[in-house]
Amino acid sequence: MPFIMSLLLVIAVAGTAAAGPLDGPGAPQALVCSACHGFGGQSQSNTMPILAGIAPWYFKKAIQDYAAGKRQSPEMEPYAKQVLQFGVDDVAAYFAAQPRTATPVKPEPAAVERGRAAAVQCTVCHGVSGKGDPSRGVPDLTGQPPGYLRNQMLLFKADRRSPADDQLKALKALMRTIPDEQLADLAAYWSSVR
Amino acid sequence: MTIGVTVSETARFAASVPYSVIAFPFMLREDAMTRLTRRDFLRTSGTGVGLGLLAGCAPKVSDFSQKTGRRVVVIGGGWGGATAAKYVRLADPSIEVVLLEPNKEFVSCPFSNLVLSGVRTIESITFDYDRLRDRGVKVLHEPATAIEPGARRVRVGNDSLPYDRLIVSPGVEFQWEQVEGLAAAQDRVLHAWKAGPQTVELAKQLQSISDGGVFVLTIPPAAYRCPPGPYERTCQVAWYLKNKKPKSKLIVLDANPNLVSKAALFRAAWASYPNIEYRGSNKVVKVDPGAREVTTELGDKVKYDVLNLIPPQRAGTIAVTADLVGADKRWCEVNHLTYESVKHKNIHVIGDSTIGMPVPKSGNVANAMGKICAVAVASLLNDKPVPPMAPGNTCYSWVSDREAIAVVNSYKIDGGKVVQIEQKLTPGQSEMWAQNAVGWANSIWQDMLG
Repeated sequence: MPFIMSLLLVIAVAGTAAAGPLDGPGAPQALVCSACHGFGGQSQSNTMPILAGIAPWYFKKAIQDYAAGKRQSPEMEPYAKQVLQFGVDDVAAYFAAQPRTATPVKPEPAAVERGRAAAVQCTVCHGVSGKGDPSRGVPDLTGQPPGYLRNQMLLFKADRRSPADDQLKALKALMRTIPDEQLADLAAYWSSVR
Repeated sequence: MTIGVTVSETARFAASVPYSVIAFPFMLREDAMTRLTRRDFLRTSGTGVGLGLLAGCAPKVSDFSQKTGRRVVVIGGGWGGATAAKYVRLADPSIEVVLLEPNKEFVSCPFSNLVLSGVRTIESITFDYDRLRDRGVKVLHEPATAIEPGARRVRVGNDSLPYDRLIVSPGVEFQWEQVEGLAAAQDRVLHAWKAGPQTVELAKQLQSISDGGVFVLTIPPAAYRCPPGPYERTCQVAWYLKNKKPKSKLIVLDANPNLVSKAALFRAAWASYPNIEYRGSNKVVKVDPGAREVTTELGDKVKYDVLNLIPPQRAGTIAVTADLVGADKRWCEVNHLTYESVKHKNIHVIGDSTIGMPVPKSGNVANAMGKICAVAVASLLNDKPVPPMAPGNTCYSWVSDREAIAVVNSYKIDGGKVVQIEQKLTPGQSEMWAQNAVGWANSIWQDMLG
C-alpha cells in the first residue's frame, strides 16, 4: 500500500509542471545556446560541438577563454560574456547533466580507417579511449562532430587558439607535423569512437 | 519548383570549395544529415494520397471552440511562433498549444538569397510542421482574423479559440501605400522578402535578364526585417550577374544614407563586384511597371529590366488590427522579460513585430524570443517567477557562393530591460564562416521545427 501511494504521488508530481525539462538552475539560461548547439546541448551540426555531458571544468574554461579572447571567435566571445553574466557554474552544471548522444554526422568509413591508423599520436595525452584526462586538463574527443574537431586542430596548428598558452605548446608542435588531410582523417576517427 | 540548378546543391557547394579549407570527406553530409522531413515527405507520399489522408484527420478550428485545460494559442508559425509553440510544450506538456499558421510549409528567409543566385534550391530551405505535431502542437493552417483581448479569444472566421495566454508572432506586413503604383503592381513587382514563391519567381526573372540588362534593388528605410539582408542580396545578385551576365549591372537604391548593417564588411566584399552601383539616400517613392521605371524622393527616374522592390514594413496586420502597435502604428512594445504586450494583458508579442529592445529584426532573435517567451508563459500559467533571460543574435551573410561574414550580439537584463553586452563582427569574409553559417542554419531550423 505505501508503495502504491508513493507511485501515485510520483505520477501526480510528474503530471504537474514541476518536472519540466526547462526547470532547474541553468536550464533557462542555456536556451539561448540551443540555436547552434541543439536542445540540451545535443548538437546536430557538423561544426558546433556537442555540449551535452561536457565536463564542467572544460565548459567553464572554454567560456572563460572565449570571453577573455584567448580563444578567438567572433561568434563565441559575445555569448561567453552572456553566459558569465547569467552564471557559468549553473549553465555548466546543466549541460554536464544532459545525456550525451554522439554526433549524427557520419564520416566516410575510409577516412575513419585512415584516421584509426594514425590515431596513436593522439593517445599519448587523450588516452587509447580518447576520453581524455580531467586531472591534466585533457578533454574528451569522442563522438564530437568531425567538422568541429578538424577546425580545432587547424586552429591549434595555425596557433590561432590560445596563442600564449604554454600547456598547449607540445600539442601545437605535434599539429604542425600533421598534414591537413590527415587532420581530417583523425577528426573522422575520433568522431566515430563511442 | 527547382530553379535552374543542374547539380545537387551539396555537390555544387563542394565543387566550389578548395580542398584545403572545407572539402573534407564528411562535409557533404552536413545537409544530408538534417533530420527534418523536408518536402521529401510530400514528394514521396504520392500525388494527393498522403495529403488526402492528412486532410481527413487534420484538426479543424471548430474542434477547439471549447477549452478544457490550460491553453496557449500562437499566431504565426515562423521563426518566433514555431519556436514558442515547441518550447511551451517542452516547458510544460500539460499546456495545450494551438498554432495558427496559414502556410502548410515553412520557407526560411535566412539562406533564401542563395536561392536567387542558384547556390541553393528552394527545397533545401523548405520544411514541414510534422515534428511540431509529434510534440503535441495542434497545427491549424488557418489565418487568425481577429483578437478579442477581453474575452481572451482568437477569431478565425466565424469560429473562435479561447486561450489563457496568446503569443502573437505575425512577422512583418508591407506598407504598399508608401510607394505610388506598388499596390496595383504586386504581381509584377516582386519583394521576395518573405521566402517562398516570390523567391523562386525573382530567381527566374534574374536568370532571364539579358546580358547588359539592369537589375534594380530598392531598400526601404529602417526599421525593416533583417537589416543586412538587402546587402547580402546585393552580393548574391552581383555574384550571379558577374558570372552569368557579365555586361549587366545592379543598381541599389537605398532609402538609408549608408548600409544599415555590417557596412565595412559588405563594402570590402563589393570590391569584387564592379557591377554594383550603390546609391545611398535614394528612397523610392513611385514605381511604373509599364515604363519599367522607379522614381526616387529626389525625383530621379531609374530604368530597370528586372526590379526587386523591398517595400517599407510594419508589424503583421493582426498586430495592428488588435491594437498591439504603439503610437507609430507600426511596431509593438513589450515587457522585456515576459514579452507581454504593454497594451493588452495575457497577449505576448515576439519576433519582427516588436520594437524597443536593442536587437535586430532577425530570425535568430525571433527564435530566442520564442524560447524566452515560452518559458515565461509556462511560468506565469504555473504561478511561478519568470526567470530572467536575454536573447542573442547570430547573423551570417553570404558575400559570394562560398564566403560569409557574420555579426553576433549578446545581451543581459539590467533594470528589467534588455541591454546589449557586446557586438562582434568577423574580421573579414571566409569560407570558415560560411561553413559555420551552414551549421547554424541546420541547428536553428531543428531548434524551431525539429
